[in-house]
Formats: sequence, C-alpha cells, structure tokens
Amino acid sequence: MHPRRGRLLAGLTGATLLSGVGMATGFSMSASAQATYEIEPRAPEYLYARTCGYCHGHNIAPIIRGRALPPAVTAAIVRSGMGAMPAFKPTEITDAELQALAEWLAQSEADPEEHGG
Amino acid sequence: MSNGFSRREVMAIGGAVASTAAMTPLARARMMPQDMDRDVFAGVVRELRAIVGDEWVFADEASTISYRKSGIPDLRGEHVPSGAVAPANVEQVQAILALANRYRLPLWPISTGKNMGYGMATPASSGQMILDLKRMNRILDFDAELGTILVEPGVTYQQIHDYIEDNDLPYWVDVPTVGPIVSMMGNTLERGVGYTPYGDHFFMQCGMEVVLADGTILKTGMGSIENGNTWQAFKWGYGPYLDGIFTQSNFGIVTKLGMWLMPRPPAYKPFMVRSPNVEDVAAITDTIRPFRMNNLIPNGVLIMGALYQMSMFNRRADLWDGEGVIPLDVIQRHARANDIGMWNTFYALYGTDEIIAAIEPILTTAFEATGADVLTEAEMGGNPYFEHNKTLMRGGMTLEEKGLVRWWGRSGGAVAFAPVAPAKGGETIGQTQLATEIMNKWGFDYAPAYAVGGRELHHIIFLMFDKGDDEHSRKAEQCMEEMITRFGERGWAAYRSSVSTMDLVADQYGAANREVNARIKQALDPNHIIAPGKQGIA
Ligand SMILES: Cc1cc2nc3c(=O)[nH]c(=O)nc-3n(C[C@H](O)[C@H](O)[C@H](O)COP(=O)(O)OP(=O)(O)OC[C@H]3O[C@@H](n4cnc5c(N)ncnc54)[C@H](O)[C@@H]3O)c2cc1C
Repeated sequence: MHPRRGRLLAGLTGATLLSGVGMATGFSMSASAQATYEIEPRAPEYLYARTCGYCHGHNIAPIIRGRALPPAVTAAIVRSGMGAMPAFKPTEITDAELQALAEWLAQSEADPEEHGG
Repeated sequence: MSNGFSRREVMAIGGAVASTAAMTPLARARMMPQDMDRDVFAGVVRELRAIVGDEWVFADEASTISYRKSGIPDLRGEHVPSGAVAPANVEQVQAILALANRYRLPLWPISTGKNMGYGMATPASSGQMILDLKRMNRILDFDAELGTILVEPGVTYQQIHDYIEDNDLPYWVDVPTVGPIVSMMGNTLERGVGYTPYGDHFFMQCGMEVVLADGTILKTGMGSIENGNTWQAFKWGYGPYLDGIFTQSNFGIVTKLGMWLMPRPPAYKPFMVRSPNVEDVAAITDTIRPFRMNNLIPNGVLIMGALYQMSMFNRRADLWDGEGVIPLDVIQRHARANDIGMWNTFYALYGTDEIIAAIEPILTTAFEATGADVLTEAEMGGNPYFEHNKTLMRGGMTLEEKGLVRWWGRSGGAVAFAPVAPAKGGETIGQTQLATEIMNKWGFDYAPAYAVGGRELHHIIFLMFDKGDDEHSRKAEQCMEEMITRFGERGWAAYRSSVSTMDLVADQYGAANREVNARIKQALDPNHIIAPGKQGIA
C-alpha cells in the first residue's frame, strides 16, 4: 500500500543548488509517518490560519473574529458553504475539529490586523 | 464594502440551523441514482457503511449538503449527487468498486472536490455517488535529492507547502491561484496550471497508481518494476505511455500521483508590465511568445485584465451602480486609481542575481517597446495586485481570487470558460472581442486573464453571475453555451469544462475522439460505474 514507506529523505549529502546552497544532511523524517487528522485533530488557530483566514479578514470575506458568532451558525455555514464560500466536508474538517473551531471563533478577540471584505 | 454578516442574517441563519438544508436555498435536494430503486439504494448504503464505517457514508439530506454545493448554474437539478462515500485506503476503494459493479452504482471520484468554476464536487449527471478520496491525505514520499513527491488524493497544496517549510526542504511547490484548499491530485488530473516555471502541472507529473473498475491496481511508468526506484524520476516507462488517459477521464480512480518540484532558486524577481489599452494585449502576447519559447521568461505568464484583478477585492457595486455592463472608461478610471493598467502582465526571473541582471534589460526593453511600463518591487511593492501575483509566481499560498465569486453579491456564482489558442497577438484580440461581445449582450462583465504557456495560451474567462437569482443563472447558462458554440465555430475550444457543458465541448473535439474514448471506456469499465459523463464519456 505504501511502497516507499520509510526509505525517503535519508542519507542526503552534498547536493547543491545553482548558487551552492547546501541542503541539510541526514534528514530522515518519513513522510508516511504523517498522521491523518482523524487521529490527531488540528487546533482551531491552525485551521483558521490555514483556511478561513485567507479570505475572512483579508478583504475577501466578512470578518468573523471577535463577533461572538454562535458556534452552531458557524458550523452550519462551514458545512453548507454560504454564498460564495465553498462548503467544507467532514473529510476536510472533522466534526470534532469543526466544533472546536466554532467555539474558539465565538470566544476570539477581534484582530486589528484583519480587514473586512 | 461591508464588514460582515448583518444582524438580520445571523438571526436568519441561526433560525435555520436545525435544518441545514433550509438555510441554503441554492442547494438542491439529493437525487437517487437513475434506474435504482430506493430499497436497493438503501441496501447499497448499508454495504458501503460496512466497508468504510458508518461515519464515512453520507446518504441523507443533511449530511450531503457539502457535496451538493456548487457555484455554477444548475437550474434543472442535473448535477446533484445521491450521497458520498469516503474510503480510507486503496483496499476500501477496491471494495467499493466491486460493490458498485454489482449494483451498477455510478461513482464520481473527487480528491478535494474544490473544482471551483467547474462544478466543485458535483457530478456530470444527477444520482451519482461522490467517491470522496480526501481521507487519503498523506504525502507518501519526498525525495529531497530528486525533488520529487508522491501524494495521495487528499493532499492539499497547503499541506505540501507546510511540509516543505517544516522540514526546511530547498523546493517550491507550484500552485493554482487557490492553493490552500485544493489538491495536487485533482488539479493535475484536470491538467490545471500554475505560475512558476513548473506551472504546467501535468508536464511535471511523473508516475501514478490507478485502481481500475475491476479492482486492478496499475502503476504507470516505472512503478511496477520489481525493486524499482525510478517511478518518480522517469515519466515514460516502456510501451504506450498511459498516464494521459487517466487525466480528465473516467477510466480509473487515481490513488497516488508523483510530481516534480522546482528547486528553490537563490534569487527571485517578479515583474509587472502595465499596458494602458485593451488593444495592447496583442503586442504583449507577441512580445511574450519568443521569450517563453527560448525560456528567457521561464514561468507561466499571466496577462491579467483589470476587471479580473479588481473583482478580487471589490464587489461590482463598489465600481458601478448604473445600467448595463460596466463601461470601459469606468474600468479604466478605477484601474488608474489602483495603479494598474487595462492589462497587467506578470512574469518573473529566477536564478542568481547575476543571471537576473543579465536577462532583465532584454525583457524590459522589449516590453517597453509595446508602450507599457515595466514595474518591479521598487515601484509596486505593497500594491495588493502586484503582491498577489508576486506570491503566485513563487508558489505562495493565497485565496484572493476567490473574491471574484461574490462579484454580484452574497449568493455568489461563477462558471469558467477556458478556450485555448496559439500564443499570437491576433488570437488574443480576436478572443477578447468575441467574448466581450457575447458577454455584454447577456449583461455580464468581461473579466479576463490569459495564461501563456510555451506556444499556447489559456484564455481564462470567469462568467460571474448571481446564483441567488434564477433568471440571472439562466442567462449565465445561455451565455456560456453561446460562448462555447461561437468560439468553437472559430476553431477555439476549451481545455477543460464545467460538469454542465462536458458533452457540448466533447462534440467540438469530433466524433472520432468520442468514439475512441468510448471504446477505451468499454474495455476498462464495461458497467460504466466510474464518473459517467465525465468529459462527455458515458
Ligand atoms: C477564483 C478561482 C481561481 C482558480 N484558479 C485556478 C488556477 O490558477 N489553476 C487551475 O488549474 N485551476 C484554478 N481554479 C479551478 C479549480 O478550483 C482548481 O483547478 C482546483 O485545483 C480543482 O479542484 P480540486 O483540486 O479540489 O480537484 P477535484 O475537485 O478533487 O477534482 C477535479 C476533478 O478531477 C477528477 N478527479 C479528481 N480526483 C480524481 C481521482 N483521484 N481519480 C480520478 N479522477 C479524479 C474528477 O472528475 C473531479 O471532478 C480556480 C477556480 C476559481 C474559482
């Protein structure tokens, strides 16, 4: 199933780029060791920064931090994809992750760096 | 610009939470597979649950809501799935296929299902069950010497980007403009594009694993050599090259995909060529072509129309509240106020400072001769339009272009038409004139971009409409049909299409093509269980 398991990234030496930038040697993390998030849920801040925050608070979609949005509303909007927003499936963000994200969002302070959309 | 949901909206949404379907009038009710009665379907669902676990089968109104969302017109409910099933591994994919063959259950595979502008996760015909591969979400291999990666379907560009950063690997990943939420797999299988020198994604693809309808596991290229280690290094293998037939196709389920990554260059310099007039696109195209052919410009160049750019950060009402389409002089005025031209061309140089210094003046002189300004970080740094493409040309993460989907307002709506043409000035002028004429006739703003590959260009036209208004959706549908048809009469056809226009476009590629595809389909998937209708293949 995972034919390359464990053999990657090991024993790298002396490779250089155009300008002679050396690459790290002895790097040996196996990519197949990546746990799926069904086992290791991702934190709300992490999810916000890597998905929501690209649009919300970035001139593309409404600001949603610091607005005490009811968690049930947030969760429903994420699953259905209101308006121009895409829907996010349980395979992209698990129910447990979504609940934690929605609760975190409801409690979150407004971020002065963010701008509306 | 408004700052958020109004209180009334929050109340309305809150009231409807109990019935999720009710809050999205745009989503249609689930539809059963054609020719399958309800009891049989219920039995199939039970068996699917036994394969993947209860929580990974979605077969009722509420739990399928995410899979029904799409931003394209679907007035007659022709692209509504019956449900979704999400396997965790290849063995489960095989078991699902066996079941689907037994019951003739049509399956529509998706990797992340963010095929935005083309139908998202929705199928070519109603009743298909979405085969959601997103749970298979691991980077399986990253060879740091060769700069190759082997990914499962659910791996997003963001995940690869993070992996590279976390492990300080000297590579860049090339992304489409919507990298954070979409997959390397889905994008590459659709033969999507990005904007670094590795922008032609299928060109940079190397080796795949495919599960065929009968459960056979095929590893293309060098992938099946016993004890082999060349799968991601050499594309062509031995005998007929097969990878291509699994792209934009319904001949198999791709479960692993190899790609090449670009070595991170020591130096990077982005440029913007600002052209003041609509007609300038011809001279710009003729200037780009030889430099793309001799590789002095190495990356996927974007010639962005001002309105496309402004649709990222503005809503239509911010620019225009008059009758009809937005007049050119209004677009021009807003463009000037934002320090951009009517066309803004983005290319970049990569390598060392010395290499860049040697090439830069050759390009600058050539573009200035078209009457344009050639601008760099020094003049444009901080300008959001410059920053956007600066991010893309180094494979950075952004979703700013998602903004165009809500051009007409909250409901959103955008469907893409992407005809290809030779990279010649006359072609761009011809296509721009034809698209403007047709779109304006239907009341839509022409907001274009051209992505210039080597010898060709993709004309990216997002038809932005209001999906909350059925009449507007109907016009969008008719406008799209007219564009595809009339471009076709001129010999211009799309490189890819929305699920709603697959037959129309497939016809333009001719009967022999359709017939050969049908024969391959019959040989590989005689029960037609994988994505019937995909690219016009039954
Ligand atoms: C504003 C905007 C900007 C965009 N910019 C770009 C851009 O710059 N470049 C670009 O290329 N696209 C662009 N897109 C289009 C689209 O969003 C991307 O191409 C996206 O990568 C496709 O979605 P996905 O990766 O989730 O693929 P999916 O939706 O998962 O897959 C797309 C299709 O490929 C097939 N498929 C997927 N996985 C498999 C599999 N494992 N086996 C067999 N068949 C499979 C299916 O038919 C599926 O419907 C843009 C869209 C919008 C709205």
